[in-house]
Amino acid sequence: MFIYDKKLQYPVKIANTNPQLATIIITQYGGPDGELGASLRYLSQRFAMPFPELKGLLTDIGTEELGHLEMIGAIVHQLTRNLTEEQMRAEGFSTYFVDHTAGVYPVAASGAPWTAASMQSTGDPIADLSEDMAAEQKARKTYDNILRLSDDPDVNDVIKFLREREIVHFQRFGEAMQLLREKLDQKNVYFMNPALDL
Amino acid sequence: MNELTQSQASVNPIGCGDNTGCLPSCAPLANPYVPFQRENAKKYEAPNALIRGTLFPGLDLPFMGLVNRQEIHTPLGELMALNFAMQELGLYLDTHQNDTEALTLFQQYSDLYQEGRKTYEAQYGPLQQMDGAVDGRYAWLQDPWPWDYVEAGGED
Repeated sequence: MFIYDKKLQYPVKIANTNPQLATIIITQYGGPDGELGASLRYLSQRFAMPFPELKGLLTDIGTEELGHLEMIGAIVHQLTRNLTEEQMRAEGFSTYFVDHTAGVYPVAASGAPWTAASMQSTGDPIADLSEDMAAEQKARKTYDNILRLSDDPDVNDVIKFLREREIVHFQRFGEAMQLLREKLDQKNVYFMNPALDL
Repeated sequence: MNELTQSQASVNPIGCGDNTGCLPSCAPLANPYVPFQRENAKKYEAPNALIRGTLFPGLDLPFMGLVNRQEIHTPLGELMALNFAMQELGLYLDTHQNDTEALTLFQQYSDLYQEGRKTYEAQYGPLQQMDGAVDGRYAWLQDPWPWDYVEAGGED
């Protein structure tokens, strides 16, 4: 089960309202490479994982990603607080505002609502861990691009933290792949599906 | 179900720095490899680890040299740092469960975090619902919530 801890993993304190920036940041809430997809991907894939290390790592990283989802939500919330009439009408934000006001909704910056089609749970540990490594790189890329687009130091402070987490997670998934591989047929790791056939 | 044994690849080779890891010498084709982080890698102190986003200097790979330098001095920030160090060591131990030195450090941060939580909660209110009853009052609901913006100088 999950127990809520009433604190963020890393502080979010955004001094200046900026709804246009919020429409970019929201992509890590509900976009194809965002934190919602990350947490659901790992927390779903873990059920098919055959070894305790893999179950543990997917549980722990999946849980951390839920904390990242909360941090991204906090950034979006703080960027859209106390909106002026002019800010509600701001180019790029008004289309979000008309549907969601200043609520936080899982949607990509390019407009598509969050979809499970952006992730997989294959039931094949090698395929899943390969996807996980790719997912961390895709999220890292998004944070790189946010750092290019955003000049808000309070936002970028948090984004730099989140970006670095993707690199650490990539490392751990790579190690998990090695731990898994050492348990498989050394001449052919694709001989069978360890989730089904061990 | 078998437990995985510690990867042979995690043993520290001679002459490799903290930002390098180990690969098998004859690796089977059609497999992706990430170098295995070696044991006894350099570590930041907890407050700095939180600022950098990792406990490990060898994994600290910023984009275009953009790094956070501002220290986090609030009581909650100090608690976050202990929690983060413990969490980061937890992920490391998921793939390096036989690293006894890391396990000891994990235990130390876990103890410090639990102590820090109690001190923090006594002063600023509950962090979990189960600690929500305080002096006959349901303190779980008290502001701020984690996503609330708190003016500078206020406790975040």
